[in-house]
Amino acid sequence: MSRAYGSRVAVDDVDLTLHPGELTFLVGPSGAGKTTLLRLINREIRPTSGEVSVAGIPAHAIKASRVAELRRLVGVVFQDYKLLPRLTAVENVAFGLQVADLRVSDEEATDRALDALEAVGLGDRGKSFPGQLSGGQQQRVAIARAVVAQPPVLIADEPTGNLDQDTAWEIMDLFEDIAAWGTAVLVATHNVDIVTRLQRRVVTLVQGRLVRDQPAGQTGRMAWLATS
Amino acid sequence: MAGDVVNGRFPRRRLFQVVAANLARLLFGGAARSWARNIGSTAPALCSMALLLLMSGLVGLTAFTLRNVEQVQASQASLLHVYLRDDASGVDVSALFERLRTDPRVAGVAYVTKEDALARAQTIPGLPQLAQATDSNPFPASLDVQVKNIDDMGAIDALVRDESVVDPEQPTSYDRGAYQRLQAVLFGVAVAGLAFLGLLGFVAVTVTMNSVKSAIHARRDEITIMQLVGASRWMVRGPFVVEGAITGGLSGSLAGLATFGLAAAAVALGSESFAQFAPGVTVTVAAVAGALVVVAGLALGSGSSLLTLRRHMES
Repeated sequence: MSRAYGSRVAVDDVDLTLHPGELTFLVGPSGAGKTTLLRLINREIRPTSGEVSVAGIPAHAIKASRVAELRRLVGVVFQDYKLLPRLTAVENVAFGLQVADLRVSDEEATDRALDALEAVGLGDRGKSFPGQLSGGQQQRVAIARAVVAQPPVLIADEPTGNLDQDTAWEIMDLFEDIAAWGTAVLVATHNVDIVTRLQRRVVTLVQGRLVRDQPAGQTGRMAWLATS
Repeated sequence: MAGDVVNGRFPRRRLFQVVAANLARLLFGGAARSWARNIGSTAPALCSMALLLLMSGLVGLTAFTLRNVEQVQASQASLLHVYLRDDASGVDVSALFERLRTDPRVAGVAYVTKEDALARAQTIPGLPQLAQATDSNPFPASLDVQVKNIDDMGAIDALVRDESVVDPEQPTSYDRGAYQRLQAVLFGVAVAGLAFLGLLGFVAVTVTMNSVKSAIHARRDEITIMQLVGASRWMVRGPFVVEGAITGGLSGSLAGLATFGLAAAAVALGSESFAQFAPGVTVTVAAVAGALVVVAGLALGSGSSLLTLRRHMES
Protein backbone atom coordinates (compact mmCIF):
# COMPACT_ATOMS: atom_id res chain seq x y z
CA MET A 1 0.00 0.00 0.00
CA SER A 2 1.00 3.62 -0.54
CA ARG A 3 -0.28 6.90 0.80
CA ALA A 4 0.68 10.34 -0.46
CA TYR A 5 -0.22 13.81 0.77
CA GLY A 6 0.06 15.92 -2.35
CA SER A 7 3.53 15.34 -3.71
CA ARG A 8 4.86 13.97 -0.40
CA VAL A 9 4.72 10.19 -0.08
CA ALA A 10 4.12 9.21 3.57
CA VAL A 11 3.88 5.46 3.03
CA ASP A 12 5.59 4.10 -0.05
CA ASP A 13 4.67 0.67 -1.36
CA VAL A 14 4.67 -1.04 2.05
CA ASP A 15 3.81 -4.75 2.08
CA LEU A 16 3.12 -5.94 5.63
CA THR A 17 1.16 -8.80 7.15
CA LEU A 18 0.36 -9.00 10.87
CA HIS A 19 -0.22 -12.42 12.37
CA PRO A 20 -2.55 -13.40 15.23
CA GLY A 21 -0.71 -13.76 18.51
CA GLU A 22 2.26 -11.75 17.29
CA LEU A 23 3.62 -8.59 18.91
CA THR A 24 5.25 -6.41 16.25
CA PHE A 25 7.14 -3.18 16.79
CA LEU A 26 6.94 -0.48 14.16
CA VAL A 27 10.02 1.69 14.37
CA GLY A 28 11.61 4.47 12.39
CA PRO A 29 12.63 8.10 12.67
CA SER A 30 10.08 10.87 13.07
CA GLY A 31 8.20 11.40 9.83
CA ALA A 32 8.95 7.88 8.64
CA GLY A 33 5.24 7.17 8.15
CA LYS A 34 4.51 5.08 11.26
CA THR A 35 1.39 6.98 12.28
CA THR A 36 0.18 7.09 8.69
CA LEU A 37 0.50 3.31 8.50
CA LEU A 38 -1.55 2.90 11.69
CA ARG A 39 -4.20 5.28 10.38
CA LEU A 40 -4.40 3.26 7.18
CA ILE A 41 -5.03 0.08 9.19
CA ASN A 42 -7.79 1.79 11.19
CA ARG A 43 -9.26 3.31 8.03
CA GLU A 44 -8.89 6.85 9.30
CA ILE A 45 -7.44 7.44 5.85
CA ARG A 46 -7.52 5.50 2.59
CA PRO A 47 -4.40 4.39 0.74
CA THR A 48 -3.59 6.32 -2.42
CA SER A 49 -2.90 2.96 -4.02
CA GLY A 50 -2.79 -0.63 -2.90
CA GLU A 51 -4.92 -2.61 -0.47
CA VAL A 52 -5.44 -2.83 3.30
CA SER A 53 -7.29 -5.84 4.65
CA VAL A 54 -8.31 -6.28 8.30
CA ALA A 55 -9.69 -9.70 9.25
CA GLY A 56 -10.93 -10.11 5.70
CA ILE A 57 -12.53 -6.67 5.41
CA PRO A 58 -11.02 -4.55 2.61
CA ALA A 59 -10.35 -1.31 4.52
CA HIS A 60 -9.25 0.46 1.34
CA ALA A 61 -12.52 -0.16 -0.43
CA ILE A 62 -15.31 -0.15 2.14
CA LYS A 63 -17.91 2.60 2.16
CA ALA A 64 -17.96 5.20 4.92
CA SER A 65 -21.07 3.54 6.33
CA ARG A 66 -19.06 0.35 7.02
CA VAL A 67 -16.04 2.00 8.61
CA ALA A 68 -17.51 1.54 12.10
CA GLU A 69 -17.77 -2.19 11.46
CA LEU A 70 -14.07 -2.32 10.59
CA ARG A 71 -13.03 -0.24 13.57
CA ARG A 72 -14.68 -2.69 15.94
CA LEU A 73 -12.02 -5.12 14.76
CA VAL A 74 -9.15 -2.78 15.57
CA GLY A 75 -8.34 -1.66 19.11
CA VAL A 76 -6.45 1.62 19.26
CA VAL A 77 -4.14 3.00 21.96
CA PHE A 78 -2.75 6.54 21.83
CA GLN A 79 0.18 8.29 23.42
CA ASP A 80 -2.19 10.75 25.14
CA TYR A 81 -4.64 8.02 26.30
CA LYS A 82 -7.75 9.87 25.04
CA LEU A 83 -9.92 9.05 28.04
CA LEU A 84 -13.10 10.98 28.75
CA PRO A 85 -12.38 12.99 31.91
CA ARG A 86 -16.03 13.06 33.07
CA LEU A 87 -16.27 9.27 33.16
CA THR A 88 -14.72 6.88 35.66
CA ALA A 89 -12.26 4.22 34.52
CA VAL A 90 -14.94 1.56 34.31
CA GLU A 91 -17.33 3.94 32.53
CA ASN A 92 -14.64 4.83 29.99
CA VAL A 93 -14.16 1.16 29.15
CA ALA A 94 -17.90 0.40 29.15
CA PHE A 95 -18.60 3.48 27.00
CA GLY A 96 -16.39 2.03 24.27
CA LEU A 97 -18.35 -1.20 24.40
CA GLN A 98 -21.80 0.32 24.31
CA VAL A 99 -21.38 2.98 21.65
CA ALA A 100 -20.01 0.26 19.39
CA ASP A 101 -22.80 -2.17 20.20
CA LEU A 102 -26.13 -0.94 21.54
CA ARG A 103 -27.16 -4.50 22.43
CA VAL A 104 -24.71 -4.55 25.34
CA SER A 105 -26.61 -3.94 28.57
CA ASP A 106 -25.29 -1.78 31.40
CA GLU A 107 -24.69 -4.83 33.58
CA GLU A 108 -22.83 -6.70 30.87
CA ALA A 109 -20.80 -3.63 29.91
CA THR A 110 -19.83 -3.02 33.53
CA ASP A 111 -18.89 -6.68 34.08
CA ARG A 112 -16.79 -6.81 30.95
CA ALA A 113 -15.19 -3.44 31.70
CA LEU A 114 -14.27 -4.61 35.22
CA ASP A 115 -12.82 -7.81 33.77
CA ALA A 116 -10.73 -5.79 31.32
CA LEU A 117 -9.54 -3.47 34.08
CA GLU A 118 -8.69 -6.51 36.19
CA ALA A 119 -6.67 -7.88 33.29
CA VAL A 120 -4.60 -4.70 33.07
CA GLY A 121 -4.10 -4.63 36.83
CA LEU A 122 -6.58 -1.91 37.69
CA GLY A 123 -9.40 -3.96 39.13
CA ASP A 124 -9.48 -1.81 42.25
CA ARG A 125 -9.46 1.58 40.44
CA GLY A 126 -12.64 1.21 38.43
CA LYS A 127 -14.38 4.09 40.18
CA SER A 128 -11.47 6.50 39.77
CA PHE A 129 -11.65 9.33 37.29
CA PRO A 130 -8.76 9.76 34.83
CA GLY A 131 -7.56 12.81 36.73
CA GLN A 132 -7.10 10.66 39.82
CA LEU A 133 -4.87 8.16 38.01
CA SER A 134 -1.18 8.28 37.08
CA GLY A 135 -0.11 8.35 33.42
CA GLY A 136 0.66 4.65 33.45
CA GLN A 137 -2.70 3.84 35.03
CA GLN A 138 -4.51 5.99 32.48
CA GLN A 139 -2.72 4.16 29.70
CA ARG A 140 -3.79 0.85 31.24
CA VAL A 141 -7.41 2.06 31.19
CA ALA A 142 -6.96 3.03 27.54
CA ILE A 143 -5.60 -0.44 26.79
CA ALA A 144 -8.51 -2.04 28.65
CA ARG A 145 -10.89 0.03 26.51
CA ALA A 146 -9.07 -1.02 23.35
CA VAL A 147 -9.23 -4.75 24.11
CA VAL A 148 -12.52 -5.08 25.97
CA ALA A 149 -14.36 -5.97 22.77
CA GLN A 150 -11.61 -8.53 22.01
CA PRO A 151 -10.63 -7.16 18.59
CA PRO A 152 -8.34 -9.35 16.46
CA VAL A 153 -5.97 -6.40 15.90
CA LEU A 154 -4.55 -3.89 18.37
CA ILE A 155 -2.55 -0.88 17.19
CA ALA A 156 -0.72 1.50 19.51
CA ASP A 157 0.88 4.79 18.54
CA GLU A 158 3.77 5.67 20.86
CA PRO A 159 1.91 4.22 23.88
CA THR A 160 4.89 4.75 26.21
CA GLY A 161 5.85 8.19 24.90
CA ASN A 162 4.52 9.97 28.02
CA LEU A 163 5.62 7.35 30.55
CA ASP A 164 8.79 6.70 32.55
CA GLN A 165 10.88 3.65 31.71
CA ASP A 166 9.54 1.40 34.49
CA THR A 167 5.92 2.17 33.60
CA ALA A 168 6.75 1.71 29.92
CA TRP A 169 7.96 -1.80 30.69
CA GLU A 170 4.73 -2.57 32.53
CA ILE A 171 2.72 -1.42 29.51
CA MET A 172 4.86 -3.54 27.19
CA ASP A 173 4.26 -6.56 29.42
CA LEU A 174 0.57 -5.94 28.92
CA PHE A 175 0.99 -5.87 25.13
CA GLU A 176 2.85 -9.17 25.33
CA ASP A 177 -0.02 -10.66 27.34
CA ILE A 178 -2.57 -9.34 24.84
CA ALA A 179 -0.60 -10.85 21.96
CA ALA A 180 -0.43 -14.12 23.87
CA TRP A 181 -4.27 -14.17 23.91
CA GLY A 182 -4.14 -14.36 20.09
CA THR A 183 -4.39 -10.69 19.13
CA ALA A 184 -2.16 -9.23 16.41
CA VAL A 185 -0.47 -6.29 18.16
CA LEU A 186 1.36 -3.53 16.30
CA VAL A 187 3.17 -0.97 18.46
CA ALA A 188 4.77 2.13 16.95
CA THR A 189 7.55 3.28 19.24
CA HIS A 190 10.77 5.21 19.57
CA ASN A 191 11.82 3.25 22.66
CA VAL A 192 14.95 1.47 21.44
CA ASP A 193 15.67 -0.15 24.78
CA ILE A 194 12.32 -1.94 24.89
CA VAL A 195 12.50 -3.00 21.25
CA THR A 196 16.00 -4.45 21.51
CA ARG A 197 15.44 -6.22 24.83
CA LEU A 198 12.05 -7.78 24.01
CA GLN A 199 13.38 -9.41 20.85
CA ARG A 200 10.03 -9.35 19.02
CA ARG A 201 9.35 -8.83 15.33
CA VAL A 202 10.50 -5.36 14.28
CA VAL A 203 9.35 -3.56 11.14
CA THR A 204 11.42 -0.54 10.21
CA LEU A 205 10.09 2.34 8.15
CA VAL A 206 12.34 5.03 6.72
CA GLN A 207 10.91 7.84 4.61
CA GLY A 208 7.74 5.83 4.12
CA ARG A 209 9.49 2.71 2.85
CA LEU A 210 9.67 -0.60 4.71
CA VAL A 211 13.42 -1.08 4.86
CA ARG A 212 13.63 -4.06 7.21
CA ASP A 213 11.29 -6.71 8.62
CA GLN A 214 13.19 -8.56 11.35
CA PRO A 215 11.55 -11.69 12.78
CA ALA A 216 11.30 -12.20 16.54
CA GLY A 217 14.60 -13.17 18.15
CA GLN A 218 16.67 -11.63 15.40
CA THR A 219 16.46 -8.00 16.40
CA GLY A 220 19.88 -6.52 15.89
CA ARG A 221 20.91 -2.91 15.59
CA MET A 222 18.00 -0.65 14.74
CA ALA A 223 18.33 0.17 11.06
CA TRP A 224 16.48 3.45 11.45
CA LEU A 225 18.95 4.71 14.06
CA ALA A 226 21.55 5.00 11.34
CA THR A 227 19.34 7.29 9.30
CA SER A 228 17.72 9.41 12.01
CA MET B 1 -36.91 -36.64 30.52
CA ALA B 2 -38.44 -33.85 28.52
CA GLY B 3 -36.97 -30.48 29.29
CA ASP B 4 -38.79 -27.15 29.43
CA VAL B 5 -38.92 -25.19 26.19
CA VAL B 6 -37.57 -21.72 26.76
CA ASN B 7 -39.69 -19.16 24.97
CA GLY B 8 -37.62 -16.64 22.99
CA ARG B 9 -39.90 -13.71 23.68
CA PHE B 10 -38.31 -12.60 26.89
CA PRO B 11 -34.75 -12.30 25.57
CA ARG B 12 -36.03 -10.39 22.53
CA ARG B 13 -38.00 -8.06 24.76
CA ARG B 14 -34.97 -7.71 27.02
CA LEU B 15 -32.79 -6.92 23.99
CA PHE B 16 -35.26 -4.28 22.89
CA GLN B 17 -35.20 -2.76 26.38
CA VAL B 18 -31.41 -2.74 26.42
CA VAL B 19 -31.15 -1.10 23.00
CA ALA B 20 -33.82 1.45 23.92
CA ALA B 21 -32.09 2.25 27.21
CA ASN B 22 -28.70 2.62 25.52
CA LEU B 23 -30.22 4.79 22.80
CA ALA B 24 -31.95 6.97 25.36
CA ARG B 25 -28.79 7.40 27.40
CA LEU B 26 -26.21 7.74 24.64
CA LEU B 27 -28.30 9.63 22.10
CA PHE B 28 -30.79 11.72 24.05
CA GLY B 29 -29.15 11.75 27.48
CA GLY B 30 -25.78 12.62 25.97
CA ALA B 31 -27.35 15.35 23.88
CA ALA B 32 -29.25 16.80 26.83
CA ARG B 33 -26.13 16.78 29.04
CA SER B 34 -24.05 18.39 26.34
CA TRP B 35 -26.75 20.95 25.66
CA ALA B 36 -26.93 21.88 29.34
CA ARG B 37 -23.13 22.01 29.59
CA ASN B 38 -22.91 24.33 26.57
CA ILE B 39 -25.83 26.51 27.62
CA GLY B 40 -23.54 29.53 27.68
CA SER B 41 -22.74 29.25 24.00
CA THR B 42 -26.20 27.96 23.10
CA ALA B 43 -28.24 30.69 24.80
CA PRO B 44 -27.45 33.45 22.26
CA ALA B 45 -28.28 31.07 19.43
CA LEU B 46 -31.51 30.07 21.17
CA CYS B 47 -32.58 33.70 21.64
CA SER B 48 -31.65 34.64 18.07
CA MET B 49 -33.54 31.67 16.70
CA ALA B 50 -36.57 32.42 18.86
CA LEU B 51 -36.61 36.02 17.62
CA LEU B 52 -36.17 34.96 14.02
CA LEU B 53 -38.85 32.30 14.30
CA LEU B 54 -41.24 34.80 15.90
CA MET B 55 -40.65 37.20 13.03
CA SER B 56 -41.14 34.35 10.58
CA GLY B 57 -44.39 33.42 12.29
CA LEU B 58 -45.68 36.99 12.12
CA VAL B 59 -44.60 37.31 8.49
CA GLY B 60 -46.41 34.04 7.79
CA LEU B 61 -49.59 35.26 9.46
CA THR B 62 -49.35 38.54 7.54
CA ALA B 63 -49.00 36.58 4.30
CA PHE B 64 -52.04 34.52 5.26
CA THR B 65 -54.00 37.69 5.95
CA LEU B 66 -52.97 39.30 2.66
CA ARG B 67 -53.89 36.14 0.78
CA ASN B 68 -57.35 36.27 2.33
CA VAL B 69 -57.70 39.94 1.40
CA GLU B 70 -56.62 39.18 -2.14
CA GLN B 71 -59.08 36.28 -2.43
CA VAL B 72 -61.96 38.38 -1.13
CA GLN B 73 -61.04 41.22 -3.45
CA ALA B 74 -60.68 38.87 -6.41
CA SER B 75 -64.15 37.43 -5.86
CA GLN B 76 -65.60 40.88 -5.37
CA ALA B 77 -63.76 42.56 -8.20
CA SER B 78 -66.27 41.50 -10.83
CA LEU B 79 -69.25 41.97 -8.50
CA LEU B 80 -70.83 45.43 -8.64
CA HIS B 81 -73.11 46.46 -5.80
CA VAL B 82 -75.67 48.98 -7.07
CA TYR B 83 -77.04 50.65 -3.92
CA LEU B 84 -80.73 51.58 -4.04
CA ARG B 85 -82.50 54.52 -2.44
CA ASP B 86 -84.61 53.56 0.54
CA ASP B 87 -87.65 55.21 -1.11
CA ALA B 88 -87.16 53.59 -4.53
CA SER B 89 -90.36 52.10 -5.93
CA GLY B 90 -90.58 48.40 -6.62
CA VAL B 91 -91.57 48.97 -10.24
CA ASP B 92 -88.54 51.12 -10.96
CA VAL B 93 -86.24 48.66 -9.24
CA SER B 94 -87.73 45.81 -11.25
CA ALA B 95 -87.23 47.77 -14.48
CA LEU B 96 -83.56 48.36 -13.68
CA PHE B 97 -83.20 44.72 -12.62
CA GLU B 98 -84.58 43.58 -15.94
CA ARG B 99 -82.38 45.92 -17.97
CA LEU B 100 -79.29 44.66 -16.23
CA ARG B 101 -80.34 41.00 -16.46
CA THR B 102 -80.74 41.24 -20.22
CA ASP B 103 -77.47 43.13 -20.74
CA PRO B 104 -75.07 40.79 -22.62
CA ARG B 105 -72.14 41.98 -20.44
CA VAL B 106 -73.86 40.84 -17.28
CA ALA B 107 -73.65 37.24 -16.00
CA GLY B 108 -76.35 37.60 -13.34
CA VAL B 109 -78.23 40.00 -11.10
CA ALA B 110 -79.48 39.46 -7.56
CA TYR B 111 -81.72 41.70 -5.49
CA VAL B 112 -80.49 42.13 -1.91
CA THR B 113 -82.98 43.58 0.57
CA LYS B 114 -82.00 45.81 3.48
CA GLU B 115 -82.57 42.84 5.79
CA ASP B 116 -80.34 40.60 3.67
CA ALA B 117 -77.67 43.31 3.67
CA LEU B 118 -77.85 43.50 7.46
CA ALA B 119 -77.70 39.72 7.79
CA ARG B 120 -74.66 39.61 5.50
CA ALA B 121 -72.94 42.37 7.47
CA GLN B 122 -73.45 40.40 10.65
CA THR B 123 -71.25 37.61 9.25
CA ILE B 124 -68.33 40.01 8.82
CA PRO B 125 -66.07 40.29 11.90
CA GLY B 126 -66.46 43.62 13.65
CA LEU B 127 -69.65 44.62 11.86
CA PRO B 128 -72.21 42.83 14.09
CA GLN B 129 -71.36 45.13 16.98
CA LEU B 130 -71.51 48.11 14.63
CA ALA B 131 -74.89 47.01 13.31
CA GLN B 132 -76.23 46.56 16.83
CA ALA B 133 -74.90 49.95 17.87
CA THR B 134 -77.68 51.77 15.98
CA ASP B 135 -81.41 51.37 16.28
CA SER B 136 -82.12 51.48 12.56
CA ASN B 137 -80.72 49.27 9.79
CA PRO B 138 -77.92 51.32 8.17
CA PHE B 139 -77.38 48.97 5.23
CA PRO B 140 -79.13 49.82 1.90
CA ALA B 141 -80.86 47.38 -0.41
CA SER B 142 -78.86 46.70 -3.58
CA LEU B 143 -78.71 44.96 -6.91
CA ASP B 144 -75.63 42.74 -6.97
CA VAL B 145 -74.47 42.60 -10.57
CA GLN B 146 -72.00 39.89 -11.58
CA VAL B 147 -70.16 41.25 -14.62
CA LYS B 148 -68.71 38.76 -17.11
CA ASN B 149 -65.58 40.74 -17.91
CA ILE B 150 -63.92 42.84 -15.24
CA ASP B 151 -63.08 45.45 -17.95
CA ASP B 152 -66.82 46.18 -18.39
CA MET B 153 -67.24 47.21 -14.75
CA GLY B 154 -66.77 50.92 -15.60
CA ALA B 155 -69.40 50.81 -18.38
CA ILE B 156 -71.96 49.07 -16.19
CA ASP B 157 -71.26 51.57 -13.40
CA ALA B 158 -71.79 54.48 -15.83
CA LEU B 159 -75.02 52.86 -17.02
CA VAL B 160 -76.61 52.67 -13.59
CA ARG B 161 -75.18 55.45 -11.41
CA ASP B 162 -77.57 58.18 -12.72
CA GLU B 163 -80.69 56.07 -12.45
CA SER B 164 -83.39 57.55 -10.23
CA VAL B 165 -83.63 54.42 -8.05
CA VAL B 166 -79.91 54.48 -7.27
CA ASP B 167 -78.62 56.13 -4.10
CA PRO B 168 -77.10 59.43 -5.24
CA GLU B 169 -74.75 59.60 -2.21
CA GLN B 170 -73.02 56.28 -2.92
CA PRO B 171 -74.39 54.86 -6.17
CA THR B 172 -72.18 51.75 -6.55
CA SER B 173 -69.20 49.90 -5.08
CA TYR B 174 -67.13 50.54 -8.20
CA ASP B 175 -63.61 51.85 -7.60
CA ARG B 176 -61.66 52.21 -10.80
CA GLY B 177 -58.35 50.25 -10.63
CA ALA B 178 -58.75 49.39 -6.97
CA TYR B 179 -58.32 45.68 -7.54
CA GLN B 180 -55.33 46.16 -9.84
CA ARG B 181 -53.70 48.49 -7.32
CA LEU B 182 -54.31 46.01 -4.56
CA GLN B 183 -52.84 43.19 -6.65
CA ALA B 184 -49.72 45.25 -7.36
CA VAL B 185 -49.32 46.11 -3.69
CA LEU B 186 -49.86 42.50 -2.60
CA PHE B 187 -47.36 41.23 -5.16
CA GLY B 188 -44.78 43.69 -3.87
CA VAL B 189 -45.50 42.72 -0.27
CA ALA B 190 -45.29 39.00 -1.14
CA VAL B 191 -41.92 39.43 -2.85
CA ALA B 192 -40.60 41.50 0.06
CA GLY B 193 -42.01 38.97 2.55
CA LEU B 194 -40.39 36.03 0.78
CA ALA B 195 -37.06 37.85 0.60
CA PHE B 196 -37.33 38.72 4.30
CA LEU B 197 -38.20 35.11 5.19
CA GLY B 198 -35.26 33.88 3.14
CA LEU B 199 -32.96 36.28 4.96
CA LEU B 200 -34.35 35.22 8.34
CA GLY B 201 -33.92 31.57 7.40
CA PHE B 202 -30.32 32.16 6.34
CA VAL B 203 -29.50 33.99 9.58
CA ALA B 204 -31.22 31.32 11.70
CA VAL B 205 -29.37 28.49 9.94
CA THR B 206 -26.04 30.32 10.30
CA VAL B 207 -26.61 31.01 13.99
CA THR B 208 -27.56 27.38 14.68
CA MET B 209 -24.66 26.04 12.66
CA ASN B 210 -22.24 28.13 14.70
CA SER B 211 -23.80 26.86 17.91
CA VAL B 212 -23.48 23.23 16.78
CA LYS B 213 -19.93 23.88 15.55
CA SER B 214 -18.93 25.04 19.02
CA ALA B 215 -20.63 21.95 20.51
CA ILE B 216 -18.64 19.72 18.15
CA HIS B 217 -15.47 21.55 19.14
CA ALA B 218 -16.24 21.11 22.84
CA ARG B 219 -16.79 17.38 22.38
CA ARG B 220 -14.07 16.64 19.85
CA ASP B 221 -12.29 14.14 22.14
CA GLU B 222 -15.49 12.26 22.76
CA ILE B 223 -16.22 12.23 19.02
CA THR B 224 -12.73 10.93 18.24
CA ILE B 225 -13.08 8.17 20.81
CA MET B 226 -16.54 7.21 19.60
CA GLN B 227 -15.30 7.02 16.02
CA LEU B 228 -12.24 4.97 16.97
CA VAL B 229 -14.11 2.42 19.06
CA GLY B 230 -16.43 1.75 16.16
CA ALA B 231 -19.53 3.81 16.92
CA SER B 232 -21.69 4.02 13.82
CA ARG B 233 -21.97 7.36 12.04
CA TRP B 234 -25.50 8.01 13.22
CA MET B 235 -24.43 7.17 16.77
CA VAL B 236 -21.74 9.83 16.56
CA ARG B 237 -23.88 12.39 14.78
CA GLY B 238 -27.19 11.62 16.46
CA PRO B 239 -26.55 13.49 19.73
CA PHE B 240 -25.66 16.66 17.82
CA VAL B 241 -28.84 16.43 15.77
CA VAL B 242 -30.82 15.93 18.98
CA GLU B 243 -28.93 18.85 20.53
CA GLY B 244 -29.85 21.03 17.55
CA ALA B 245 -33.43 19.84 17.81
CA ILE B 246 -33.50 20.78 21.51
CA THR B 247 -32.27 24.29 20.72
CA GLY B 248 -34.65 24.56 17.77
CA GLY B 249 -37.57 23.09 19.71
CA LEU B 250 -37.11 25.45 22.64
CA SER B 251 -36.69 28.44 20.32
CA GLY B 252 -39.73 27.31 18.37
CA SER B 253 -41.78 26.87 21.52
CA LEU B 254 -40.93 30.35 22.75
CA ALA B 255 -41.59 31.87 19.33
CA GLY B 256 -44.72 29.76 18.82
CA LEU B 257 -46.21 30.91 22.11
CA ALA B 258 -45.39 34.52 21.31
CA THR B 259 -46.85 34.18 17.80
CA PHE B 260 -50.04 32.66 19.19
CA GLY B 261 -50.27 35.28 21.93
CA LEU B 262 -49.80 38.22 19.57
CA ALA B 263 -52.21 36.83 16.97
CA ALA B 264 -54.86 35.99 19.56
CA ALA B 265 -54.47 39.47 21.07
CA ALA B 266 -54.93 41.02 17.62
CA VAL B 267 -58.08 38.98 17.06
CA ALA B 268 -59.48 40.02 20.44
CA LEU B 269 -58.50 43.66 19.93
CA GLY B 270 -60.06 43.69 16.46
CA SER B 271 -63.26 42.24 17.82
CA GLU B 272 -63.45 44.91 20.52
CA SER B 273 -62.72 47.85 18.25
CA PHE B 274 -65.13 46.98 15.39
CA ALA B 275 -62.10 46.63 13.11
CA GLN B 276 -60.48 43.58 11.59
CA PHE B 277 -56.69 43.73 11.85
CA ALA B 278 -56.11 40.37 10.21
CA PRO B 279 -58.94 39.06 7.99
CA GLY B 280 -59.23 35.28 8.23
CA VAL B 281 -57.06 35.03 11.34
CA THR B 282 -58.96 33.34 14.14
CA VAL B 283 -57.79 31.85 17.44
CA THR B 284 -57.58 28.46 15.69
CA VAL B 285 -55.44 29.92 12.91
CA ALA B 286 -53.23 31.55 15.54
CA ALA B 287 -52.81 28.19 17.32
CA VAL B 288 -51.94 26.45 14.05
CA ALA B 289 -49.41 29.21 13.28
CA GLY B 290 -47.86 28.75 16.72
CA ALA B 291 -47.61 24.98 16.21
CA LEU B 292 -46.05 25.48 12.78
CA VAL B 293 -43.45 27.78 14.31
CA VAL B 294 -42.56 25.05 16.84
CA VAL B 295 -42.22 22.48 14.05
CA ALA B 296 -40.15 24.96 12.02
CA GLY B 297 -37.88 25.43 15.04
CA LEU B 298 -37.37 21.67 15.41
CA ALA B 299 -36.67 21.26 11.70
CA LEU B 300 -34.38 24.27 11.62
CA GLY B 301 -32.38 23.12 14.65
CA SER B 302 -31.93 19.51 13.59
CA GLY B 303 -31.47 20.37 9.90
CA SER B 304 -28.81 22.97 10.64
CA SER B 305 -27.03 20.45 12.87
CA LEU B 306 -27.00 17.88 10.10
CA LEU B 307 -25.62 20.47 7.71
CA THR B 308 -22.88 21.42 10.18
CA LEU B 309 -21.98 17.80 10.82
CA ARG B 310 -21.57 17.15 7.13
CA ARG B 311 -19.18 20.06 6.92
CA HIS B 312 -17.23 19.75 10.13
CA MET B 313 -17.14 16.10 11.02
CA GLU B 314 -15.26 13.49 9.04
CA SER B 315 -16.72 10.04 8.74
